[in-house]
Amino acid sequence: MGKEPTSMQKYLAELLGTFMLVWIGPGAGVVAGMLGVKGLADVLAIALAFGIAVAAAIHVVGKISGCHINPAVTIALASRGRFPWKDVFPYICFQLAGAVIASLLFVACLGSQASTSFGLGATTLNSGAGVTIPMGMIGEAIGTFFLMFTIMGVAVDSRAPGGWAGWIIGMVVAGIIITLGPMTGASINPARTFGPYVGNLIFGGPCPWDQFILVYCVAPILGAIIAVFVYDYIAQPDKGK
Amino acid sequence: MKCYVCEKSGNATEAIAVCIVCGMALCKDHLVRADIDMWEGGYPFPPSKLKKKLPRILCKECYDALITQR
Repeated sequence: MGKEPTSMQKYLAELLGTFMLVWIGPGAGVVAGMLGVKGLADVLAIALAFGIAVAAAIHVVGKISGCHINPAVTIALASRGRFPWKDVFPYICFQLAGAVIASLLFVACLGSQASTSFGLGATTLNSGAGVTIPMGMIGEAIGTFFLMFTIMGVAVDSRAPGGWAGWIIGMVVAGIIITLGPMTGASINPARTFGPYVGNLIFGGPCPWDQFILVYCVAPILGAIIAVFVYDYIAQPDKGK
Repeated sequence: MKCYVCEKSGNATEAIAVCIVCGMALCKDHLVRADIDMWEGGYPFPPSKLKKKLPRILCKECYDALITQR
């Protein structure tokens, strides 16, 4: 029946899952920019790439590490005792490492123009549309709330029908990106923004770190934690899960 | 009920168990006890083996098909 994965195998699974997500998702943003795709087609292409990457990662590494591939998800699960706190720090470190590796290898595939011209698909606030840091925080918190609320409903709750979590969560990620993307870039995942920011720091693309902490770290984590508490209150799933 | 395997070889031995897979009645010489690992977890939780295993009584053929050839 197989062996229980070791801690290092779980950490590497998180690294590879996040690598997959950040290479495919933000990578699609870079490629859409290269092709000159604009408007809804741009958002749809990127959202679909993210959705497929999330769904595939869940099915591939979900049975090894749980496939959080998102520090907000890891912290939110730990906040209600569903995930051991001792594993939170290593999980987040490996998620961030996977995201950075993805961005650096994307530059290796496309050259430094991926960073200088297309920002490695990094998320930034749409200041042209008047989106400020507080507005961005609200948007990212709500987006991550919906992501975590869905995870709770289709995966954590033992009453959920089995086998559907990957695709449903992939599709909700795509849906969130379609709505939130034009406002904040729709990170809903601190690792997804961290990787391209580090790549841009090295290769000269945009990396507004002032936005990173509040909009792309604090807000998603808060949104995810609130989702866990709200779901537990309204649905009261098994205490054990 | 008699053991199916013994009965085929012309012996009539009292059965003490039934194979959980094929339903064959078995004596103590022809049964195999397999302890199956039990798991918890799965997305979004890492899988972990439970301490206690699930006991299963099988005949030799089912044991070979299900356990040995994995």
